[in-house]
Amino acid sequence: MSAPVGGAHRGHAKSAAGFLVDAERAAWHDRSLWFMRQKRDRGTAIAEWESLRLAGSALKAHAMSRLADLLEEFERRATANGVVVHWARDAAEHNAIVLGILHADGVTRVSKSKSMLTEECGLNPFLEARGIEVVDTDLGERIVQLAKEPPSHIVIPAIHWKREEIGALFHRTMGTPAGETSPDALAAAARVHLRDALLNAGAGITGANVIVAETGGVVVCTNEGNADLGMHSAPIHIACVGIEKIVATRDDVGVLLRLLARSGTGQPVTAYTTHVTSPRPDAAMHVVLVDNGRTRRLADEAMRAALHCIRCGACLNTCPVYRRSGGYSYGHVIQGPIGAILAPAVDLDAHRELPFASTLCGSCADVCPVRIDIPAQLLAWRARSAAAGALPSGYSTIFPFLGWVLSRLSRFERAARWARRVQKVIPSSWLSGRWNPWTRPGRTLPVIADETFREWAQREEGRP
Amino acid sequence: MSARDDILAAIRSAAVPPAPPAQLPSAPVQQADGLHDEFLCVLNEVGGQGAIRAEGQPMEALLAERLGAARADAIVLRGRFAVAENAAVYVDAADLNARNDIVRAEHLVVIVPFSAIVPTMHEAMRLMPADSACGWFLSGPSKTADIEQSLVFGAQGSRTHHVIFDRGT
Repeated sequence: MSAPVGGAHRGHAKSAAGFLVDAERAAWHDRSLWFMRQKRDRGTAIAEWESLRLAGSALKAHAMSRLADLLEEFERRATANGVVVHWARDAAEHNAIVLGILHADGVTRVSKSKSMLTEECGLNPFLEARGIEVVDTDLGERIVQLAKEPPSHIVIPAIHWKREEIGALFHRTMGTPAGETSPDALAAAARVHLRDALLNAGAGITGANVIVAETGGVVVCTNEGNADLGMHSAPIHIACVGIEKIVATRDDVGVLLRLLARSGTGQPVTAYTTHVTSPRPDAAMHVVLVDNGRTRRLADEAMRAALHCIRCGACLNTCPVYRRSGGYSYGHVIQGPIGAILAPAVDLDAHRELPFASTLCGSCADVCPVRIDIPAQLLAWRARSAAAGALPSGYSTIFPFLGWVLSRLSRFERAARWARRVQKVIPSSWLSGRWNPWTRPGRTLPVIADETFREWAQREEGRP
Repeated sequence: MSARDDILAAIRSAAVPPAPPAQLPSAPVQQADGLHDEFLCVLNEVGGQGAIRAEGQPMEALLAERLGAARADAIVLRGRFAVAENAAVYVDAADLNARNDIVRAEHLVVIVPFSAIVPTMHEAMRLMPADSACGWFLSGPSKTADIEQSLVFGAQGSRTHHVIFDRGT
């Protein structure tokens, strides 16, 4: 596994508190993501949207139900098309396979287009430690790579960077004029810088948005065209793919393509959608199929549907917690609501806070193009945390007490009466002490009403 | 056991119950003569430029008019068909000199037969050649919004993207 990402050791709440110290920046981040959500709403305003989501959900469930057969069919067809198919049980095997392909051809410089799987496997640090130069070629990924950071968003890796900061970074690393902050000028400099890497690499590594059993093909979507520059220029193309990316047919691909970009950025489709089934006559093509915990999740019925995720980023953009806490607060390669249900399966103990980093408002499930019930899984992970004795600190004392109080009506009523009286007589500074996470500066406890709803209802009913 | 056998065995032992294939959603009925309008409207939104070549109009004159000085740096490709809902044109590697032509070109022109247009990706996937080695759906020029979500065209691939519906053939 790659190293924990930005503050995993501190937990979500503490990292989020750090993110919120700069209130103006936090508000800017919130607005940026909400802008994406609004674009998504405009992009998904087509008559058949809900039936498309149903089809997306169904085709993924179908693929998971026939996963072994489909992977075998994919391997058979891809092999017949001249593609070399590899299988990796985990991140270490994946990295070793990629290194083996590069070593066999003496490759020392590779270009890489966006792939969350290679982030998950920690491919970059692994290759770099072995003397291979890796250039991330998606502009956002290149920005965070030059800054030696991981992506903070699965679709917009540098969403947390301001243009002035990117200008300073490019000045230092690419020699752009000092003080240059125009996105046009900065992107133009990056174009020259990245084209050099893309056209002169010994191998082009890509991810895959979908792989297709029916054709043995790999489908890659980008807006910049970097994946195409990489895979069609280098003598070797390596596609690194999680096994859950497979679908049965080209028809299925059509459904997912209609859902993906609309959900992610509000575009009707990405600028480039590449369906590659065979290598060029003068080149080699490899597909590395990676498990790395996916079969374990497949066997976990309650959590299985998380494998349907097509990594559009819509749940991040809409999430009130993600927008106000930033990608690094999750401490996992996949952030936001989907990350909060994926990470605990990797290590429940390390990511025990993530299922609680949610208000369970359900907005993620509403926008998910393949209808993953994320809130239900968040809740299920909370229950598993409790059962495993892995509740976040604080929760483990208060939850059993609350459970005891709330499990009997008479106890609850007595507690409510008692709390109402106590709040009136004790100084408010006691209740808003540092011990109480609900009363940080800027937040106060509401005054408890003089009568309960029940008492009010009884009084009203008793009236003539 | 090999990694392959281990993974397949782990999948089979997960014993996921059968789930039926998806039904393609039925799109609202669209008028065939409105498809070009829809395509050109969406193409404009995604930063591309479209034109229709009238019967008998010389292609080179039309290209010179549409591209101006950029004509010298343009690569002209054959597109097999167009998709109205997302302004994508399908280009197959069999029609190219080199696969990376589609991204190396500073300016890209795709010429599509006028009648080769479908409403959505559902119909489009079925028109893809069954034996295609590599094919693209191209929708507008290369773009990025990775710097503070400011839209910049010509990120890495083509700076301008033209689609010409050809009535002259």
